[in-house]
Amino acid sequence: MSKSTTNLYLRFPVLRRIEHLIMLLSFTTLGLTGLPQKYPESSPGAFVLNILGGIETLRLIHRSAAIVMMFGTAYHILVMGYSVFVLRDQMSMLPTIQDAKDGIQALLYNIGIVKTYPQMGRYTFEEKLEYWAFAWGAAVMGATGFFMWNPITATQYLPGQFVPAAKAAHGGEAVLAVLAIIIWHMYGVHIKRFNKAMWTGTQTEHEMLHEHPLELADIKAGIADRRPDAATLRKRKLFYYPIAAIVTVVMLGGIFGFINAEETALTTITPLTETEIYVPQTPQP
Amino acid sequence: MRRPKLTHIFPFLAGIVLVALVMAGSRSETARAAPDAIPVNAPAVQMDNSDCLVCHNRPKFTTSLPNDEKLVLTIDEDKFNKSVHGENQIACTDCHADFTSFPHDDLKANSLREIATTYYTTCQQCHAEQYNKVLDSVHQRALAGGNTNAAVCSDCHNPHEQTRITNKDSGEILITARLHIPQTCASCHSTIYDAYKNSVHGNALTEENNTDVPTCIDCHGVHNIQDPTTVTFRNSTPFLCAKCHTDSTIMDKYGISTNVLNSYVADFHGTTVKLFEEEFPGQPTNKPVCTDCHGVHNISKVDNIEAGIALRENLLIKCQRCHPGATANFPAAWMSHYEPSPEHYPIVYYVNLFYKFFIPTVLGGMTFFVITDIYRRIVNRVKGVRHS
Repeated sequence: MSKSTTNLYLRFPVLRRIEHLIMLLSFTTLGLTGLPQKYPESSPGAFVLNILGGIETLRLIHRSAAIVMMFGTAYHILVMGYSVFVLRDQMSMLPTIQDAKDGIQALLYNIGIVKTYPQMGRYTFEEKLEYWAFAWGAAVMGATGFFMWNPITATQYLPGQFVPAAKAAHGGEAVLAVLAIIIWHMYGVHIKRFNKAMWTGTQTEHEMLHEHPLELADIKAGIADRRPDAATLRKRKLFYYPIAAIVTVVMLGGIFGFINAEETALTTITPLTETEIYVPQTPQP
Repeated sequence: MRRPKLTHIFPFLAGIVLVALVMAGSRSETARAAPDAIPVNAPAVQMDNSDCLVCHNRPKFTTSLPNDEKLVLTIDEDKFNKSVHGENQIACTDCHADFTSFPHDDLKANSLREIATTYYTTCQQCHAEQYNKVLDSVHQRALAGGNTNAAVCSDCHNPHEQTRITNKDSGEILITARLHIPQTCASCHSTIYDAYKNSVHGNALTEENNTDVPTCIDCHGVHNIQDPTTVTFRNSTPFLCAKCHTDSTIMDKYGISTNVLNSYVADFHGTTVKLFEEEFPGQPTNKPVCTDCHGVHNISKVDNIEAGIALRENLLIKCQRCHPGATANFPAAWMSHYEPSPEHYPIVYYVNLFYKFFIPTVLGGMTFFVITDIYRRIVNRVKGVRHS
């Protein structure tokens, strides 16, 4: 192979890889413990239910994983804030018209109508689709999960019907999310080509040329994201950190509230009626 | 004096002996005529029922027991003859096997309860099946634990008066017997009977002689009655109620939905209870079963103004038992056994509808793209084109 294959480009710094790992573990746990709750009668559902110690344990694991994902999301928001406000990186994950065009061109290329595959930048339309699908899913699951976790609080402000509706949406979205991951993510980064960038953090020049040629061109041209100089960085940090601290407190408060808004149900039920069992009728004549 | 005054009986003695001698042949025929299925531990010298009745049909024939209780020794001959035992010519001595000759010793018992709790074992001679079931019952367990109030055979079935309960041919329980069941249980469980009598079930039975409704035994069983306060019993409640409430031959008459179990199991509460019932029947769950909202013996119609849980205010009280902070909107979080539809729970209906189309659309689109990508890769490989 040519020299270009050994020339490595940093794609994901280690903190981003940890972020991915957190989301991977929490998502997988949520899926594995969530779907058996939607399909408890199915044999795989029953199998998971049993090996994990029953429905109540399953719910506990599910909610623990949800908490992990909430922290993961909060962390991601802070990192994004740092990227946007301190480093002033290009917001390369935002969807653009060009992404739609790229997608259509890729499809037309695949079915043989156009001759060239689209050239894309740091994030391909496939990656953006997955990122925003995940973001949409997390928002839907978070909101509907809150209704089910805290139905008493939710029904203080909303009609009761929102709780079963939340359950329906949570289940529907779960099926969509898990299958989308299996179809889109599996194919895109495992089957089409085993993409190790999220683990090693780097891609070779050859890989960059094929998958992110526009980004590679920017890097080569020296117009890709550049670190600001130390003085600017310090100034921006001074501005960002207090805001990030407030945002952090708000988000942690939100997570705490999510978990502790209410004690939904008593854990023990007292008998409906304490009946004296033996109460003979007055003696028969 | 505890003993019956033998001096009163003595003048009959000569007569009895005489009759006994004369009737010796026919008496043994009577014994043989007893139903084959009934094993009779025939005593060496048998007395006929009429021999016993010489004394025991005297009215107000009583004796005092050591605890000063009065044991009535009078047998109502008419009632006995009409009883199932009388019809089948069961001999007094079949059960009272230690009184086979006259004069006989006193019954050795300190109290009425002692008599009942020692005598019931005699029933197993003929009723082994029922007797063995009783051995597994909550009554028997209580008795074994020293609670002599626990019911034995004779508490429900007065052996001298019990008429036939089941149809001789079909084995089905007779309507008259069925209608009488709650009153039988009421003799010990009177407060529960009072609650039942006023419930939608009990009222229909006692006021309208309606046999569609459950009596005590339909939920608790007969003979092998189990403790209804156990976790196992509670976890199985939905399936107990469902026996009738999913049976359209009964429910259609009253316009009651048979979807109540399915809609319950489809909900969060029911899913949990069903899983507990299947996997951990003996472990408690704090999720409600039918009786937690509908009541146990005092079940009322759901549209009853005072207690009916079709009224949100009434249901809220039930919700608050487990969800103390629940407010007015909360009961609507439970879909009240409805299937979501544009009329009932429309938001749930439309959310389901949305995902019904959204999931296949998204996944279909993704799958289509993936398939075209695979196709292109194969074509390129065949043609020897390097993937761009």
